[in-house]
Amino acid sequence: MILLLALLAGWLSGLAYACWQKQSYQFPTINGLWLAFVAFVPQLLAFYLPVTRTRIPDILAAASLITSQILLLVFAWTNRKLAGMWLLMGGLVLNLAVIVANSGFMPISPQTAEHLVPASVVQSMDVGGRFGFGKDVLLLPEDTHLVLLSDRFLLPDRFHYQVAFSLGDIFIASGIFWLLLRQGIPLRLRERLKCL
Amino acid sequence: MKAKLVSLLTQKINRQYIQLAFALLALAILVLGAGAPMEGGGIGF
Repeated sequence: MILLLALLAGWLSGLAYACWQKQSYQFPTINGLWLAFVAFVPQLLAFYLPVTRTRIPDILAAASLITSQILLLVFAWTNRKLAGMWLLMGGLVLNLAVIVANSGFMPISPQTAEHLVPASVVQSMDVGGRFGFGKDVLLLPEDTHLVLLSDRFLLPDRFHYQVAFSLGDIFIASGIFWLLLRQGIPLRLRERLKCL
Repeated sequence: MKAKLVSLLTQKINRQYIQLAFALLALAILVLGAGAPMEGGGIGF
């Protein structure tokens, strides 16, 4: 949700900027669209579709996540000329690194998890086990490889909506925001910005 | 002639909208698949 909000914010900002500059918004040309859809299928089955995610064993879910992210990295690479795509790829590589280092899932500490669900729910879960049917695994920080890249950041408490995210997620959100915002910046202005 | 022009224009607009929708969907899939945030409530709770 938070990443889709970054996408929406980037697109709307780009549209607003283009409108303000009295220019048309040039949506980026995306190459290899089919690859994005194919790459997402393993994740769709393992994490999103309620019918399938409950039946897929953890080891297969982990393999699905890694395979899917590698394919998405190939998709991002084929579109590397787009502004912001390198930032997005950087985020994807950081997430992939910590996921591979922690048996195929994104680690989250019990302390962070208690900000998302009631403490009693977290206490009833096994450390080392999956956190629901999502991409996260509950791990103590001392047992986590690449702990700095895990889901360890939280929104301030005053936000009603709570989410734990990683450094890679920040890069991905920034990359997609910049990619879609930049399409609203007129070419002449882009040239001027390049000179600065 | 006018009807043909309108038809061509409509087809082009429709095609552009479809392309835009697919491109947006692909980018949404990319960020959803690449990211791994855990939301309050979480998936499956």
